[in-house]
Amino acid sequence: MQHFALTIIGRDRPGIVSQVTEILFHRGFNIADSSCSILGGQFSMILLISNPSVSSQDEFSEAFKPLEESNLSVFIRTLKPGGETRSELDGELCMISVYGADKPGIVYQVAKELGDRKINITDLNTKLIGDKENPVYVMMLEALLPEDTEIEVVEGWMEELKQKLQVDISVRSLLSMEL
Amino acid sequence: MAAKDVLVYPDSRLKEICAAITNFDDSVLELLNNLVDTMIAAGHSVGIAAPQIGDLRRAAVVDVSKSKLGKKQENHGLLQMVNPVIIEREGSTVVREGCMSVPDYTGNVNRSEAIVVQFLDQNQQLQVLRTAGFEAIAIQHELDHLDGFLFLDRVSSLKTDLFRRKQK
Repeated sequence: MQHFALTIIGRDRPGIVSQVTEILFHRGFNIADSSCSILGGQFSMILLISNPSVSSQDEFSEAFKPLEESNLSVFIRTLKPGGETRSELDGELCMISVYGADKPGIVYQVAKELGDRKINITDLNTKLIGDKENPVYVMMLEALLPEDTEIEVVEGWMEELKQKLQVDISVRSLLSMEL
Repeated sequence: MAAKDVLVYPDSRLKEICAAITNFDDSVLELLNNLVDTMIAAGHSVGIAAPQIGDLRRAAVVDVSKSKLGKKQENHGLLQMVNPVIIEREGSTVVREGCMSVPDYTGNVNRSEAIVVQFLDQNQQLQVLRTAGFEAIAIQHELDHLDGFLFLDRVSSLKTDLFRRKQK
């Protein structure tokens, strides 16, 4: 079945989720995975959707016109076959917390350490907290460490970055228990 | 004795409150054995509760000694528990839990760090154990099953389970 990724973003207000999902419901779409959250003053929605009788986005894209008219931006991406299922991943989950005075490049430099080593980031959230005079940047990142990469090794990489960026970084294993 | 199929939500038996075992007969021993066999057959998961194999009686087994994580901590090995009750709780910790009865999802759950649990063992002896860490978390998870609670009732946030399941 053809899947689509639907991204919607706009000024936060009550009723966005119901407005969006009402359209999906009436059009017979299923929502598989979704993640929706407030970013600053914006509400953002990312959904993977499908409808057994819809194979092209031209068949339903105009249904979202009312959303555009109410100041929401809508973007539809047609997924390639299999794009709706994640590949199986093996490894140990670790959580990296980074926080400190705001400065350019915090996310990039931490992500580069991981990306250069082909380590997969599975979740990432950042937030600007504190006040205007003293903005504090907070980043929470989850990454999947390959079998041969120990937490201590990651800590080593982050230790260097800590000095360079003058931020606090902690790395810890995320205990995931199958019970 | 046999490994049983593990029930998967939305099987309604997973949401039932299980009955106390008042008559400790052979069927209870058989249940405990089946629980142990099923736990081992599931790639040695660290615990399983009776309702997960469709038996609505208050029994569960836990064994963290074979898991990568549990091995490193002090533990009591295989625990076979009938009518288990947590009589003391201490501290609080957040763990990412997954459950054989709710595949493909894990969630961050708040659990007590250390507990004192009381139960009848397979020899009908009353045991009162103090335990902490992974074992304490596993016991809390399994005992929740006896009251129809899944970790989904306890989570503060959900994540897609990234790990390959041991059994399917």
